[in-house]
Amino acid sequence: MFMRIPRFRRTGLFSCIGACLAVWAGNSAWAKNQPAPDWAQEAAKAATPADPGDAAAVLLYDEYVITVDDQNHAVERERWATRILKPQGREWGHCAVDYDIDEKLDYFHAWTITANGQQFQAKDTDFEDKGAYDAPELQMTDRIRALNPPAGDPGAVVACETQKRLAPYMDEEDWQIQYPIPVVDEALELDLPPGGHFAQSWSHYPPVKEVEGGANQMRWEIKGMSALDLENLHATPPLEALAARMSVFWGDAAVNGVDNQWRAIGVWQDQLEAHRTDPTPEITARAQALVAGAPDLYTKLSRITDYIQKNVRYFIVEKGIGGWQAHYAGDIFRNGYGDCKDKTTLLIAMLQSIGVRAYYLHVDSERGVIDPDEPSLTGNHMITAIELPEGESDARLMARVKAADGKTLLIFDPTDEETPVGLIRGELQGAYGNLADGADSQVIQMPVLPPDSGGLSRTGSFVLAADGTLSGDVTDVFSGVDAAGERGLLKENTQKDVREGIEVGMSSDLPGATFKGLEFEQTEKLDQPIRLEMQLSAASYAHSAGPLLLLRPRVMGSDARAVPDVMESKARHFPIEIGHPGCWRDSFDITLPAGYAVDGTPDPVNVDVGFARYHSTVTAKGNTLHYEREYVVKDVEIPPSKAADFRMLEGSILEDEKGAVVLKKD
Amino acid sequence: MRIRGILRGAALIGICGVALPVRPQFQPPSPDELKMTADPKAPGADAVILEYREADNDRLLTEDIYTRLKVLTDKGKEAATVELPYWKGASSVDDIRGRTIHPDGTIVPLTGKPEDLLSEKVNKLNIKRKVFTLPAVDVGSVLEYSYQLRFNDMLFVSRGEEWRVQQPYFVHKAHYEYAPYAPYGGIGVAWWPHLPSGAALNSPGGGVFTLDIADVPAAPDEEWMPPLNSFLYRVRFYYSLKAETTAQYWMDEGKKWSDIVDKFVAPSGALRDAVNRIVAPGDSELDKAQKLYTAVEALDNTDYSRAKTESERRALHIKDIKHAEDTWKQKSGNSFEIAYLYLAMLRTAGLKAYALQVVDRMYEVFDPSYFNWDQLNVALVVLSSGGKETILDPGEKLCPFGQLSWRHAEVRGIRQGPDGVSLTTTPPENFADNMTTYNANLTLDAKGAMTGSFTIVMNGQEALYWRQVALVNDADELETEYEKQLQATVPEGVDVHVDHFVGMDQPDGSLIAIVNANGMVGTAMGKRLLLPGYFFETRGDVPFVNEQRRLEPVDMHFASRINENVTYHFPAGYTVEGAPADARVSWPGHAILVTKSTAAQEQIAIAYSMVRAFDLAEPGEYQDLRGFYQQVATTNQQQIVLSSAETGKGS
Repeated sequence: MFMRIPRFRRTGLFSCIGACLAVWAGNSAWAKNQPAPDWAQEAAKAATPADPGDAAAVLLYDEYVITVDDQNHAVERERWATRILKPQGREWGHCAVDYDIDEKLDYFHAWTITANGQQFQAKDTDFEDKGAYDAPELQMTDRIRALNPPAGDPGAVVACETQKRLAPYMDEEDWQIQYPIPVVDEALELDLPPGGHFAQSWSHYPPVKEVEGGANQMRWEIKGMSALDLENLHATPPLEALAARMSVFWGDAAVNGVDNQWRAIGVWQDQLEAHRTDPTPEITARAQALVAGAPDLYTKLSRITDYIQKNVRYFIVEKGIGGWQAHYAGDIFRNGYGDCKDKTTLLIAMLQSIGVRAYYLHVDSERGVIDPDEPSLTGNHMITAIELPEGESDARLMARVKAADGKTLLIFDPTDEETPVGLIRGELQGAYGNLADGADSQVIQMPVLPPDSGGLSRTGSFVLAADGTLSGDVTDVFSGVDAAGERGLLKENTQKDVREGIEVGMSSDLPGATFKGLEFEQTEKLDQPIRLEMQLSAASYAHSAGPLLLLRPRVMGSDARAVPDVMESKARHFPIEIGHPGCWRDSFDITLPAGYAVDGTPDPVNVDVGFARYHSTVTAKGNTLHYEREYVVKDVEIPPSKAADFRMLEGSILEDEKGAVVLKKD
Repeated sequence: MRIRGILRGAALIGICGVALPVRPQFQPPSPDELKMTADPKAPGADAVILEYREADNDRLLTEDIYTRLKVLTDKGKEAATVELPYWKGASSVDDIRGRTIHPDGTIVPLTGKPEDLLSEKVNKLNIKRKVFTLPAVDVGSVLEYSYQLRFNDMLFVSRGEEWRVQQPYFVHKAHYEYAPYAPYGGIGVAWWPHLPSGAALNSPGGGVFTLDIADVPAAPDEEWMPPLNSFLYRVRFYYSLKAETTAQYWMDEGKKWSDIVDKFVAPSGALRDAVNRIVAPGDSELDKAQKLYTAVEALDNTDYSRAKTESERRALHIKDIKHAEDTWKQKSGNSFEIAYLYLAMLRTAGLKAYALQVVDRMYEVFDPSYFNWDQLNVALVVLSSGGKETILDPGEKLCPFGQLSWRHAEVRGIRQGPDGVSLTTTPPENFADNMTTYNANLTLDAKGAMTGSFTIVMNGQEALYWRQVALVNDADELETEYEKQLQATVPEGVDVHVDHFVGMDQPDGSLIAIVNANGMVGTAMGKRLLLPGYFFETRGDVPFVNEQRRLEPVDMHFASRINENVTYHFPAGYTVEGAPADARVSWPGHAILVTKSTAAQEQIAIAYSMVRAFDLAEPGEYQDLRGFYQQVATTNQQQIVLSSAETGKGS
C-alpha cells in the first residue's frame, strides 16, 4: 500500500485471473514438449486431503531452496504444484513470480498434468509480464511474470518452477506456510556457505526443528497444513495477521534472540537512511519559520506535521532498493512529493532542525500483520516516532508510548494527511512496529486511544406533519479520528460525489428525502472538529398502519456493525474487529402533529460489555418526542471469547434502531 | 459522415510542403487563471483544463500534446501525475517538458527524468508507460506540460486517429489538428465526429483537419448510464479505400461479411451426419431448430469455461477453426463459433436461417455513421419458420431457446435476409419474460423471532445470470454468492441459507431457489409487535431516489416483473392492529407497483407486485421516473403492527 511489500513468499501463487494473451509466437516458442520433471510427477501423485473443506484448489507441494554464496548473495528456487479442484480454483493454477531490477529471474518453467495423466509444458506464449502495480501514484519497477497454464481445468495439477537471484542486500526470507487453501507438503531449505549462520522465528505456528541435510544445509518441512479461509467470515484481522509463517535470516542479519533480531533490523534501517534525514538550509529555515512564536511543543509539532501533510503529495517512485530506502530530505522538500518513507524522512529532518528527535517506525497498514514474536521486514508502511521530552504532558498528544529504554514516543503518520499530530487512525492503534533507533531499536506496540479520541455528536430538531412528512435540521460534529475520516472523504471525492454519497447513505433511513441544505464547515486546522449542517425533508417518513402512525425515532444513522457469522452464533476462532475507540451520540427532538398522542414507545436500552456500551431512551413530553443514545467503544478488537457479548450488544443496537413510536389520534 | 479522397490535396502538399505543426510553447498564465479558486463553468470541479492542444501528423508519424490545467481541490492534485502508454518498438514518448506555476507566479520546472515502466509484455507485445509527476503541486497551481509521441511506419496505416474531445475534466479551450498521411493510390480519409452542437470539424486546406472547441463538459458519471463509450464527444479518423455513404459502407461491408459467413457455414458431410443424428425426419421445423439449439448449447463454450492456450492446441494437434464443422468436431468453440455452427446446422437441416451481428450493449451503442465493422461483436441467428422470424442467441451459454441476453436485445446490427443484407434492430425484452416470484411463509414468536422458508422462482435474465455463475463456480460457492445477494434484501437480523436450487441446468424452465430463513424480524414493544411490511424490500436499494437531476439517458438493461407473496403466521392471541394500506403506484405506460394485504386469523398475507415495462428512459422522462421510485421507496418502508390482548412490559 505505502511501501514495498517485502518478499513475502506468496507471490509465487499470485493470482492472475483473466490474463489475455496475445499470440505473436516466435518459432522458438514451439520447441518440443518436455515431460514434467520427476518432482512434479511425484507431487501430482499426492492425494487431495480427505476433507479439503470449501477449498477450490490444494497446494500439493511447495518447496523453496535458498542458496547463499560466500558473498552473501542468495539464489532462490521454488517448486510448487497445485491441484485445481473446482472451476473457481483455476486461478490457483496461474503461477506467478515477482522480480525487480536488482533481482534476476533465471527461469520460469511450468507443466500441467491433467486428471487423465496427459502432460503439457507451458511455452513462451503462455506467460505474461506485467508491472506489479498500476495505480498512478505507485510508480515501481517491480514486475510480475504470470502463467496462463495450458489445460488448467479442474482435476489438473499445475507444476511450476522458478529460480531468481535475490537482491544483493536481502538476507531474509519470510516464508508463508498457510494459505486460503490446504497444503499437503511444504519445505524451506537454506544452503549456507561454509561458516554461515542463520536465525529463525515463527508466527502463529509452533517452531519446527530444522533437519540438517549436510554441511550448512538446513531444511524445514511441514505436512498437512490446513487452509485459512476467511472469505465468508466478517470483521476478522487480515489473512496476513493470522496465517502461519516463519522468517529466517542469514549473514550479518542472523542474530540470536527476538530482541536482538528486532534491533538488527532497526540498525539496518538506520544505516540505510543514514544522512537522508540531514536537513538542508532550506529545510531548517522553513522549520524554524513554522515554529516561530509557537507557545508550546504541541503547537510546534502541529505546525510542522501540518506542513508536511499539506505540502508533500503522496507519490511513489521506487526502483529496487528504493522500496526500502528513502530519498534525501532536500529532494523531497524541493519536489513536494514522496512516499511514506520520504514523508517520515522530511519530518525527521524538520524536527531535527528545531531540536526534536524522531525515528523511523516500520509498521503495516493493517493491525496484526507485524508479530512481535517474529522479527522480520514484514510490513508495508513507514511512520514516525517523535521523542517527547520528559514531563511533557499535553493531553492533546494522545498517541504516546513508552519505549523499553524509557523514552516517551509520540506516534505519528505523516502519510495520513488528515489525522492530526497527537492521534493515529484506528488501523494503527494496538498494532506493532519496529523502531529504528540504533542500538536502542526495538519492537513497540502502538497505543489504543481513549474514547474521546474520536466520534460524532449528532443533534436534530424535526417537525412531523400529520401526513407523515418529517422535516428539520441536523448538525453533525465529527471529532478526532472521525473528523480525520471525514476530511479524507472530502479530499478524495468530488463535491458532487460527497453530496450524493451522503444522500444515498441516508436513503435507506430516509427514502426520498430532499436535502435543502448540506454544508460541511471545516477549518484548515486538522485538530478541529468538522461540522455538517443538513436541512432535510422526508415525505411519508412516518407510516400509517391502520389507525396508527408509526414513527422511528432514530431517524438516521446506524451504530450497528454487521458481522453475520457472529450474529448467527457460528463458532468464532479469530478476533473480532470492532472499529476504533470513540463516542457517538444522537439527540433528536421531534414535534408531533396536533391531534396525535403517543401510544407506545420502545423500551430504553442499557448495555455495557466492557469493550463498549450502548444507551438509548425515548421520552415524550407534551407534543415533543425526545430520542437520545450514546455508543462508546473502548477498544479496536476483541478476542473470540467475547463473541457472545458482541452478539448481545449488536442485537440490542439493532433492536433499538428498528424501534418505532406508536402514535394514535386523540 | 463525410468522406473524401485526399489524393489531389496530397499532390499539392507534395509541391508546397506540409505546414508542420508548431510545438506549443509554454505560456504565462493570465492573472485570472492564477487567482482562480473555483470555476463557475464547472462547479465543484477538482481541476479544469485551461487549454489543450493536440497536433497529430501521420506524415511525420508524431503526436504533439500540450496541456495546461488548473488544480482547484486536493483531489485535483491527481492531475499532476501523467501516464503515457506506448508500444515499445513501435512507438516512443519523447521531449517531455512540464512545470508547475503557483498562484503567486512562482515557477517550478519539471527536472526529474520520467519513469519508464512495464505495463504488460506478452511475447512481442510490449506495452510500457512513461510516467512523470509535476513538482510542488498545490491547490491553486497551474500545471503545464507537453510531450511528443512518435510512431514507427508499421503502425500508421491502420492507426487512424482519435481525438478524445471529452475528458475527465472540464475543458475551457482546445485545439486539435490532424494531418493524415499523403496517400498511395486513392486511399482516402474518413472521419466520424461526435461533437456538441455548434462545434464543427474544419478542413482549412493542405489535407489537414482542425477543430477548435470551448467549454467541453467533463465526462459524465451517473448510475444506470448507457455505456460511456457511446456518447463521449470525440472525433475518429480512419483510412478508407473509397468514398461511401453510410448506406453504401454497411451494404458493401455487409456483403463481404455475408459471403464470409456463408462460406463458414456451408453444409458439409460432417455437419449433415451430425444433423441427421440430432433431428428426426418427422420433426417440425421448430422441433428441429430446438433440438439443434440444445445440441450446440451443450458444447464447450470457451467464453464461459477456458479457451485452450496456443501451446495446448499445438500439443493436442487441434486445428484452428476455419469452418463450422471444425467447431462441431472439436465440441468446443467461442460464442461466435458456436452461433455460426448453429446457423450452419439449421441450414443443413433445410431450415431458412440468417446470420445477424450486433453490438454488445454492455459496452457500446451501435453507430452506423462510424464506419467500423468491429462495433458488431456479437453473433446471433435469425430463424425464419412458418412465416415468422425468431432471433436466437446460441452463443449465450444457457440462454433459453427464443430469448436473448439483455446485452443483445434492443440493439442494432446488420443481418442477412432473403433480399441481401440490411441494418436491423433486435426486439426489446418483455417484462413478462423476466419474472421473479418470491413466496415466503414465515412463523413468528411473541418476541419477533422468525423461522420460515422461501421459494424464489426466477425466469429470464435473472435465471440466466445465476446459471452462468454456476458455470464458473461449484455448488457451494454458487449458494454462498446467492445468499450474499439475498441477505442484502431481507430485514437486518434475518439469516438466509440456500437449501438447494432446482432447474439449474435446464435453461428452458424456471430456476428455483429453496431457501431457509430465521432470525429476528419483529420488534417487540410491550403488547405490540412491529414487522416489516414488505419483507424483501425493507433494505432494497431503490435507484434514483436521491439523484435530483439527470443529464444522460437511463439504461436499466431489461424490463422485468417482481412478485412477492409473504405470509406471516403469528402467535395465538395476536391480531393485526395496523397494516400497510393497499397501494397502487404507477408511472403510466412504464411501471406499476401494486400491494395488497389480507389479514386472517393469526396470519397476514402481503402481496407485492412491481412491473417495470421499460429499460431505457430519456433525461426528459427522469422526473417521472424518479417520482415513481420515490413513491416505491416510501411504500417499501411500511410496517405491520400486531397487538396482543395481554399487556406487555413496555411503555
